[in-house]
Amino acid sequence: MRSKLPDAASSRKMAASSAVVAILASIWLCSSIAADASGSSSETTMHTNNWAVLVCTSRFWFNYRHMANTLSLYRTVKRLGIPDERIILMLADDMACNSRNKYPAQVFNNENHWLNLYGDNVEVDYRGYEVTVENFLRVLTGRHESAVPRSKRLLSDEGSHILLYMTGHGGDEFLKFQDSEELQSHDLADAVKQMKEKHRFKELLIMVDTCQAATLFNQLHSPGVLAIASSMKGENSYSHHLDSDVGVSVVDRFTFYTLAFFERLNMYDNASLSRLFNSYDPNLLMSNAYYRTDLYQPNLQEVPVTNFFGSVMETVHTDSAYRAFPQKNTPRETRIRTGNTAEDDSRRSILTDMTKAECPFTRIVSSLESKMETVGNLDSLVNYGLVMILPVLVVSVWLST
Amino acid sequence: MPTANTEEENSKSELQKNHGGGGGFTRWAVVAVIFRLALIYFPGNLNLSSRPEVSTPLTSIRRLAEGYWLKQSSMSPYAGSMYHGSPLLLSVLGPLTVKRIEGQPSHILCSLVFVLADLISSILIRATGRKLQIAYRKSLKSLNLLNKSTDSGALSSGDIAALVYLWNPFTIVACVGLSTSPVENLFTILTLYGAATGLAPLAAFGWVMATHLSLYPAILIIPVNLSYSGSWFYPPAPLSPEYTYAPPSKLFRSKEHGKVGDGKSSQEIIFSWRRVFHLLVWTSLWSVYVLVLCSISVKQHGSLQEMFQRTYGFILTVEDLSPNIGVLWYFFAEVFDFFRDFFLIVFHSNILFMILPLAIRLKHRPCFLAFVYIAISSMLKSYPSVGDSALYLGLLGLFLDELADMQFSFFLFCGYVGVSLLSPVMHNLWIWRGTGNANFYYATAMAYACFQIVLVVESVSSMLNHDRKLTKLSTSKLQK
Repeated sequence: MRSKLPDAASSRKMAASSAVVAILASIWLCSSIAADASGSSSETTMHTNNWAVLVCTSRFWFNYRHMANTLSLYRTVKRLGIPDERIILMLADDMACNSRNKYPAQVFNNENHWLNLYGDNVEVDYRGYEVTVENFLRVLTGRHESAVPRSKRLLSDEGSHILLYMTGHGGDEFLKFQDSEELQSHDLADAVKQMKEKHRFKELLIMVDTCQAATLFNQLHSPGVLAIASSMKGENSYSHHLDSDVGVSVVDRFTFYTLAFFERLNMYDNASLSRLFNSYDPNLLMSNAYYRTDLYQPNLQEVPVTNFFGSVMETVHTDSAYRAFPQKNTPRETRIRTGNTAEDDSRRSILTDMTKAECPFTRIVSSLESKMETVGNLDSLVNYGLVMILPVLVVSVWLST
Repeated sequence: MPTANTEEENSKSELQKNHGGGGGFTRWAVVAVIFRLALIYFPGNLNLSSRPEVSTPLTSIRRLAEGYWLKQSSMSPYAGSMYHGSPLLLSVLGPLTVKRIEGQPSHILCSLVFVLADLISSILIRATGRKLQIAYRKSLKSLNLLNKSTDSGALSSGDIAALVYLWNPFTIVACVGLSTSPVENLFTILTLYGAATGLAPLAAFGWVMATHLSLYPAILIIPVNLSYSGSWFYPPAPLSPEYTYAPPSKLFRSKEHGKVGDGKSSQEIIFSWRRVFHLLVWTSLWSVYVLVLCSISVKQHGSLQEMFQRTYGFILTVEDLSPNIGVLWYFFAEVFDFFRDFFLIVFHSNILFMILPLAIRLKHRPCFLAFVYIAISSMLKSYPSVGDSALYLGLLGLFLDELADMQFSFFLFCGYVGVSLLSPVMHNLWIWRGTGNANFYYATAMAYACFQIVLVVESVSSMLNHDRKLTKLSTSKLQK
């Protein structure tokens, strides 16, 4: 015969314990839901870094000017902030140390010899016979052999702005590499399409200085690509002037006027791309500079040239220490601007505050959590909890007998 | 109830007769502890903790040390996919892996913890065995089948089982080889002890901790529930818990039809849903406590979801395919990705679909049902090791009375010895010498699985034969 008294006591205990269980379970559930809600974020790519791929495709001494073009762009891009790690410089021949160079180890782009482009800190990534169509396409698409070092790879990500400058001899829908092979417009378009698929760029500016350069863009279809060429179909691009001391033409017209535009700028200027594109005078160029914007969303008047030709980054100042994993509730971070236009704010993402907790349970839990953060060591709390298991177990066993 | 008291006194006196046996157990237990300590202090390098049979991705102490180091470096302990265990175990054992004492072998404190866990497990097995034996004798007496010849001799089955557990080479290797299996086995045995003695908080705590450490003891909720809230054979004295065995109900019906009752009230199988609810309440209380502790522990550098993904998700998705004595790694190394999820479901339901038929057939023997579940899950789990086998081999000793007529016992014994000797040899041939390949090692793993299957099948069939014999004997006695 079982007595009734333990049953009543045990049923009361069971009711109390089940109430406690219900409350604890609901608190935990609410906190997990709140944590999930505050943790979700939207995915917009931010402009993260700038890359430049500068390609000179011509060999031989009489193509000195192509080398000088590329080295001039290299200098400009470095001056405006892109570091060597993010520049891939491909020079098909060595003019600076060519035996026909009267000024050894010096490359000029003007007959006044005012500026030596081949200074102390020129890093050439692909030189001489390494500049082939295959290597160029491998650089663009990132499909290298495993032994290729990182300095020869275009390690861009989905937030990169890439400047692709090519110069040499070209024609109707092709560009000549090394006098032995050619890059065709559909090859270039295919490589750009692969890059877009693999999220290797956010925006791409292709600048080509060859004869009939605009035909090279005929097959481009990928969004986010802006292209400018020195001449249209049927037109030649001409060199600017002959340096009678060096003995060859030292610069091309298109590049000369591009450099003239950039020499007036420094890192903090916000001259827009439309100003650059409008600065080309067909009479001076002796060809029509053509640019293609149908694949490019933003308004050219609002895009500063430093988006492609320089590397002007926004600095974010954080007060908290660097953590290995991002926390769900980060405090508001302050930003230091480097003098860019206010329109750029719309394209940058802003970190949000901690979302306000709606459910009263989650408010309790969040206050508990904040109190716990003031507690010195969470590990000691866990250890207390573990040690408490034993007396709780003993008490519960004693109660249930 | 005079008869009940005399019954209690009789069984207690019988167990007192085993007082010499109690002393014998203590002696052998002490020698076993000394033996383990001797192996720990052994100057040569047994290299046990790097053998795949002993340490799996879930139980390896090196991974635990790595997880603790990551935690101390302000990173989540699950970063880098080294540690896949519980954060509570990390808080307990982690500091011990770092503490070094001059002149002692490395990880000496962890080894002592594991030796202690083994010792407590054996004491709990012994206590469970005693409860089982008391219930068994009571049931035999009430069916008037008990005679002096069923006195088992110097050691009771609980003592034998505890000593088998302590002296099993698998257990010793798992303890000395610094795997965390002794701790997991301790909690599983604690569950069974709590179920056998009817202490719901203890059983719930053991079940929650065992499931938390390794996922598979979750299926033990069924035998624990059956044991705690199920069949009473004998009307117990106020709140005295001996409900670990009851013969099938048809025995009772025949008894009622048979001769006049001798004053004892024979009861049918009663399954009390109230007690199920009671046990579930305690289970949920303990699981909330453990989950709160875990969430506090992982709060800084991760989340509870990450913990579940890296512990239970790792076990269920079989991410690590390094060789072990199980049968999953070889298969999942060659299955196509397209079919991987399908085969994961197949392999896991291999354990799950056996739960229900066994529960239906063996519901009158919850402890044996627990043993069969443990054996099946030790065989078919994602990362088995010898520590898991040690557990069910120890529990096998609890049922020696009923399994005395088991067939193929010698064959199985030789098989186990042979596999445990051949498996390291094949591993050496494959990995170190390069003269073998994975098939050599997997052959021993398959043979091991076959032996385990034969063991499970034979033990279940001999247990059912034993029950049939009991039924036949008691009905023949009734008809007399």
